[in-house]
Amino acid sequence: MQAFVPGLYARSEALVQATRDLDRGRTTEEAVDEQVERDLAELVSVQQAAGLDLLADGMLRWQDVFRPFVEAADGLETGALTRFLDTNTFFRAPSGTTTTPTLSQTLNGRYFASLPAPRLITVPSPFALAQGTDIEPSVLAEGVLKPQLDVVDAELVVLEEPFLARADSIDLDGFAGALEKLAGGPKLALWVTFGDAQPLFEQGLADLPVDVIGVDFYATKVGAIPEGFDKVLLAGVLDARSSVPEDPSEIAAFVPQLHERGVKEVALVPNGDLQYVSEPVARDKVERLGKAKEAAA
Amino acid sequence: MSTNGEVKFLTHEVGSLAKPAWLVKTSAGKPLEESDIEHAREWGEKVGVEDYEQLIELLRQEERDPDEVARWASRYCMRLQESAGVDWIWDGEQQRSEMYAWAIAHSNGFEPRGTVRSFDNKYYSKSAAVGPVSLREPYHNDEFSFLESAAKHDLKIPITGAYTLAVWSYDEHHLPRSGRLGSGLSRKNEVEARRELTLDIARNIIRPNLEALIGLGATWIQIDEPGASTEEDELDVFVESFNVSVEGLEGCTFSTHLCFSDYNLFFPAIEGMSGCRQYCVGFANYDSRELGTSSADRPGYEVISKWRDLPYEPILGLGVNDIHTDFVEPPELVRDRILYAVDVFGDPARIHVCPDCGLRTRSWDVAFEKLRNMVEGTRLAEESLNRAHAGATK
Repeated sequence: MQAFVPGLYARSEALVQATRDLDRGRTTEEAVDEQVERDLAELVSVQQAAGLDLLADGMLRWQDVFRPFVEAADGLETGALTRFLDTNTFFRAPSGTTTTPTLSQTLNGRYFASLPAPRLITVPSPFALAQGTDIEPSVLAEGVLKPQLDVVDAELVVLEEPFLARADSIDLDGFAGALEKLAGGPKLALWVTFGDAQPLFEQGLADLPVDVIGVDFYATKVGAIPEGFDKVLLAGVLDARSSVPEDPSEIAAFVPQLHERGVKEVALVPNGDLQYVSEPVARDKVERLGKAKEAAA
Repeated sequence: MSTNGEVKFLTHEVGSLAKPAWLVKTSAGKPLEESDIEHAREWGEKVGVEDYEQLIELLRQEERDPDEVARWASRYCMRLQESAGVDWIWDGEQQRSEMYAWAIAHSNGFEPRGTVRSFDNKYYSKSAAVGPVSLREPYHNDEFSFLESAAKHDLKIPITGAYTLAVWSYDEHHLPRSGRLGSGLSRKNEVEARRELTLDIARNIIRPNLEALIGLGATWIQIDEPGASTEEDELDVFVESFNVSVEGLEGCTFSTHLCFSDYNLFFPAIEGMSGCRQYCVGFANYDSRELGTSSADRPGYEVISKWRDLPYEPILGLGVNDIHTDFVEPPELVRDRILYAVDVFGDPARIHVCPDCGLRTRSWDVAFEKLRNMVEGTRLAEESLNRAHAGATK
């Protein structure tokens, strides 16, 4: 049993204020950097105290899950401000300026902070990055994401995928081709966030060429996991869109249901980015995740 | 439309403007710098704030009453818009903490849950409904009374709508706190929970506010619903909450403001919202910056025909300024956006002109330039239409 927290983590009140002040010309980038480092140290400490297995950096500098890649790629640009699913958080939708974008420069330590223990990183899934760009996911996988994965040092790369569960029509074969372009490096997890994965499982989600698959169990019934599921399952057991604190014993009691479905390896995670709750709420949830892992072991 | 038959568009703002540093620092109990006081002097002169020297004197004092400074900020923002030539104005919400937080702070049944990102380095405070919700006190009365006494132009009051308050809140009251894991809580249950919370807010918080404002003489109230399209399958809840909020209230025009959404989602749901006489909607954010009045030139406005076709024929408040950029739309671009809309609607009387949304993320310099160009572009559109009309009737 493992547990960890991929994705964008909530910024502290101090970092919120620092970034607001930066936008208004009331502070310096250096001061914001210092606050990011303090937030990061606190996040690492919270994860370690909770006994999480792979550390994450919370992507504290990322304005959204696409932005650093869009800004670092030739052939992509930021488009209209767009609502993120059914949240009150918005992102700049990627837009294509060529049919074959490439990463002009790999993202550095500003976007993948160095961490003191085995770590994971989160990047957008090629399907998510391709949304609305008229560019094939496989092209973005090969030209934009793969060069980054070739230089990262991580035990697990989590491909965040918020759109797949809500897509009207899905070419899973084509998506599989895109994921194959990312192979050859660290283990890959496809994290299907904030949505019911059952229709995807019915179309072959479990057969995609990744090592790990993540499921939102606040939107997905446990019975949706197909018999014979042979990958590691990221079980989304923290509701990142709810302020209600999860009961660790309820999570622990849920895990055997996954094993009854034949799932051998489970890692407990949130069902999406914890940036949709405030930092104190997120911290409490991470602590509860650790307790749930302990109780389920 | 003017009384002499010439085309005359009504222009209005949408809601918020940035708060000046001299107000922000005063509210936070922080000292001012000379540049803050210079800002107050410069803008006092620029937009003609009467007796602004009194504010300068006030700002030089160590102890300052934040409410008094906020009232000065209201005067400044009204004069800013009046100087730009905007017809219907508000005070940029200078006396409110924020459109969501202000409403929640004056209501019962909510508890704060911290700060959440809106986008980039923009955030909002988010609360949870933890019990039955109700109004503690009408929370726009003092503001309206003051602004009415100080405004030179007509006032349109923005008030955050029930659905947006509900969808921007966590709900710890109507949703189950346990038993959801792995059971795939049915969407039907989630929608029903949202409906209960939204209608409670409409009945117990929004409507009493509207009644109080009408009693004070309000003639146009804009119900802000930037969250309206958050959940595609809850648009009926949004419509129902608008109707519950305004139904049977007389002597006042009710409108709504929508922004940053896939507007196609609103149709056909808002066919049932006939009490809404104007929709103020942001389009410029999605549009090209090139000039031109053909549909190919104006991709951001493609959807407006759907408002044209609503059976109760509401007015469309046409968003012509992108509020997320410092790019100041030239008057000619504003003109072309209006001319395109008139061409689609076939009736200039059904078009008002406004920015996409409140301009609070822009500096006063940029906001002023955008509003001034909006008004100038509106005049250009009027000239063009009136010239064409005169030519046709010769």
